[in-house]
Amino acid sequence: MIRMPRAAYEAIVAHARQEAPREACGLIAGHGDRIERVYPVPNRAELAVEFFAERGLIPPGRDYRPDAPGAIAVERFFMDPEEQFRVLREIEANGLEHLGSYHSHPATEAYPSRTDVELAAFWPGMLLLICSLREPERPVLRAFRVVDGRVHEEPIVVEG
Amino acid sequence: MAVKILIPAPLRRFTEDRATVEVEASTVGEALAKLDELYPGIRERICESDGRVRRFVSVFVNGKDIRSLQGIDTPLSEGDEVGIIPAMAGGQ
Ligand SMILES: [Zn+2]
Repeated sequence: MIRMPRAAYEAIVAHARQEAPREACGLIAGHGDRIERVYPVPNRAELAVEFFAERGLIPPGRDYRPDAPGAIAVERFFMDPEEQFRVLREIEANGLEHLGSYHSHPATEAYPSRTDVELAAFWPGMLLLICSLREPERPVLRAFRVVDGRVHEEPIVVEG
Repeated sequence: MAVKILIPAPLRRFTEDRATVEVEASTVGEALAKLDELYPGIRERICESDGRVRRFVSVFVNGKDIRSLQGIDTPLSEGDEVGIIPAMAGGQ
């Protein structure tokens, strides 16, 4: 079970809404099973087209031409590396543990996609929070861990 | 030049759980080679066989991505911090 303060929950939903139809992403920190802070990180998916393509993670028939920048960020996220690194240092400086990441699914359910499961292998066992805006007035936030390609859900309790 | 390499959590299984490793090196490439001497196998998690940094990894010198500097030839000075992180990415 994952516990999180209402402010952290609301920050994720607000970030997801602000970025839609692009995906929002960020890092989460706290202690053990308790999330204490969330840190938005810019989504640079449009600069990572080759990264997704070489893993077969661009849907067939989709056109992500370089002259259509931003198009891929509707269905993918790739955290800005320098900002991701800076935030990881900040988490450490704040005396918190890096617990994982969050991102939004602007149009699909709050469940890890094939892309999420494959790329979770870079950070095994980390918490993966997904915020769905499929029903814009009823955002859904769920938490998962992917271990050896298998998805495990962790119930979330929002406090306060 | 003594430099500090910051090891990301997913690679600490190579470094006996150490979060930082100090090496003597004058370029990023040399620092990664020294790291691999201490902890064999870790460099191939970071670099392709031709030495370039893998596309899903970023390497930083004092917080700057070496892709915007001189890649693995980026020079190091005494006390520099070399950061390493795997990509965080996904989709819907
Ligand atoms: Zn996803």
